[in-house]
Amino acid sequence: MRGKRRLVAVLLLAAATAIALVTAGSGAAGGRHSATSGPSGVGTGGPMVGSGGGFGETFAAPKGTLAHALFQANLLPPGKAARNVSLAAYGRATKTVNYALALKCWKNNGCSTGTGGKYTVAYVEGFGENTYRQMSKMEFILQALTYPSIGKIIYRSAHSDLNQAIADFKSVIAQHVSAIVTYPDFGDAMIPVFQQATKAGIPVSTYAWGYVTGPGENYLTVVGEDTCKLGQAFANVMNTQVKSGDIAFMGGFPGNPLSAGWQTCEQKALNPSINVVANDPTNWDPSKVQGIVAGILAKYPDLKGLSYEDALFMSQGGYAAYQAANIPYNGVFTYRTDEAGMGCLADQLKNPNLHIYYYSAGNAQIRVALTADMMKLQGAKIPPEIVFPIQLQQQSKRDLCIKGYPATASGTSLIPLSLLHQMYP
Amino acid sequence: MDVASPAPVRAIAANAVLVARFLPVWLATGALLVVAAFVAPDALGSTSWSYVLPLTSVLAIASLGQMLVVMHGGIDLSTPGVISFGGNLIAGVGAGSDHKLPVAILAALGVGVAVGLVNGLLVGLLRLNPLIVTLAVGQIVLAWSSKYSRDVVTNQPNVPSGLASWARDKPLGVSNVFWVGLAITIVLALVLRSTVLGRRFQAVGANPRAAWMGGLHVRTHVVLAYTAAGTLYAVAAVLLAGVNISIDPAFGSAYLLSPIAAVVIAGASLSGGLASATSTWLAALALVFLTQMLVILGLSAAMQYVVFGAAILAGMVVSGDRVTAVLGRLLRPGAGRLALREGG
Repeated sequence: MRGKRRLVAVLLLAAATAIALVTAGSGAAGGRHSATSGPSGVGTGGPMVGSGGGFGETFAAPKGTLAHALFQANLLPPGKAARNVSLAAYGRATKTVNYALALKCWKNNGCSTGTGGKYTVAYVEGFGENTYRQMSKMEFILQALTYPSIGKIIYRSAHSDLNQAIADFKSVIAQHVSAIVTYPDFGDAMIPVFQQATKAGIPVSTYAWGYVTGPGENYLTVVGEDTCKLGQAFANVMNTQVKSGDIAFMGGFPGNPLSAGWQTCEQKALNPSINVVANDPTNWDPSKVQGIVAGILAKYPDLKGLSYEDALFMSQGGYAAYQAANIPYNGVFTYRTDEAGMGCLADQLKNPNLHIYYYSAGNAQIRVALTADMMKLQGAKIPPEIVFPIQLQQQSKRDLCIKGYPATASGTSLIPLSLLHQMYP
Repeated sequence: MDVASPAPVRAIAANAVLVARFLPVWLATGALLVVAAFVAPDALGSTSWSYVLPLTSVLAIASLGQMLVVMHGGIDLSTPGVISFGGNLIAGVGAGSDHKLPVAILAALGVGVAVGLVNGLLVGLLRLNPLIVTLAVGQIVLAWSSKYSRDVVTNQPNVPSGLASWARDKPLGVSNVFWVGLAITIVLALVLRSTVLGRRFQAVGANPRAAWMGGLHVRTHVVLAYTAAGTLYAVAAVLLAGVNISIDPAFGSAYLLSPIAAVVIAGASLSGGLASATSTWLAALALVFLTQMLVILGLSAAMQYVVFGAAILAGMVVSGDRVTAVLGRLLRPGAGRLALREGG
């Protein structure tokens, strides 16, 4: 009996030690910043691009803001209507809002804006548990706070559960929200609820090329880049940098339209002397990325290039696979996203044989989606697709390792750095 | 006991049944390697092993924890929670500094001990259903881990470089992680087989009522099993953090069912009783190797899932209780029952 008590006492002591250590760890890392208000500071400088306005918007944005989010101020959607929505959205991104309220709203997954505005807007998504989505949520909140007419912000994540995603969507329709922005993780399975919202007069927009069949009919508009042109841009890099040899593709969940979109077009545009030796889904899971890259390297240790969506995951799991295999981290890598961690790894390695090309994660596109909804509420005609031109950037020329940025954050986000630090202390 | 059979015959029959319980996983792994040599020889190359062996150790250690619980007729679904939180603590408390690494490792191990102890107390003392208890506790830990990850780790997801470079070091050509996994497996096998503590642990798992009547503290052993399991999950988390170099929100999520699969394929019975640490290690190797082989074969994702699922089903069909029962019937009526009574 005494032995049993002694064992339980030892175990309890170990548990208490663990809790103390965890608390100490959390305490050391947290609470260093306090909420503040102020101008965004994200590319507010430079002359204005665009002019005119309507439907409660000004169709102009600072050149610096556009260059920060899009790499170049002239990389706006080609159509006049789409361009105006984008300029209005990015112009709003420089407005001063209450960042303390934004942070509270972000942490609480929704809030009352305190303006008493008549509109309620909702950001509803199938999955929201990674940094990319959390940053998109903040961009949505910041954009919503620039509208005095918005009185309430709602956020819902279905945690990768299709039934929950549909229930969430129906729930915000039942609450008579004024507008919905969404990332349709479950694709066309969301069409019935999109149609239901549209029938109820609620504009629904998607971002980051969250394509669901029937934009303009089943829902208001899809904002994003042309994924086929993204694949062609990847192919152009491979054709000029790799020239010949073996390369690999990796994608997200099996059959997802984003991966399929660029992969099909890259494959078609590649030189015949370049062989795509593997095309594996990773479920956008860094641990799985490590296994996939290890498998590819086991069979093709002289792999010359790789195309994938997520720059950070490749810099984490992919790099770990190269390390484990004792294979130099050389090659031509083309990515869709632009997380700071990828740039910092490249800077740390200083490897002249590592050539990284990237596009933008496009968090700020959610602002365009919300502004499209808001303009629709004012009676504007919104084009069914708002498509940004593609221009890849080269890490060695445009360094993504931004001082003070969280490793997992996209470098083209329009969230002010001070606020980002409060989100991720 | 069958009084009609001579003692040596009974012993041989019992031993045969016992061996048969664990033999299939060894044969299946051998067959897998032979098949790989023909259809995916690259899977047997050094580049492939450099990934497979460290990951085998991680899965094996998590599976050994699960095995201790399964030996007592329980099941532990808190594994991903502990691994996730443990990994996040390595990055969060470690904060990229080798000086903080020991504290980070202690924190991770402490969480494992704490979670295992809570599971053990709820299952062993309060007699709550282990499936529900460990699932609920695991969810709470996972939620805590998720919050900690968001608040602390997102900004600096890399583990201290000392841990990553240690995991990368290869004495005798194989990662340190592999050797640690192998050492833990051997030590656990010896403890279970050759020490009083181990024998008592097995006896309680095989027949709690008889063990209680024999004066053993059944509840204490159940608490011990869950606590040891939690500790092993935390060790797996530390090693996985070293292998992965950085921590992501999904860290550890792959370890919900694979440790259970490894334990069952290795011949253990989910209703409790005897299990083999070395067979469990081998089952972990087979699962990780199979996954890697399917990637190298270039099968479509859907086909990979089909083959992997079929392999697990086949492993379950030819291992554990089913083989024991069949062989017992073949050898002599009663032999299987005898083996079960004696060892599990």
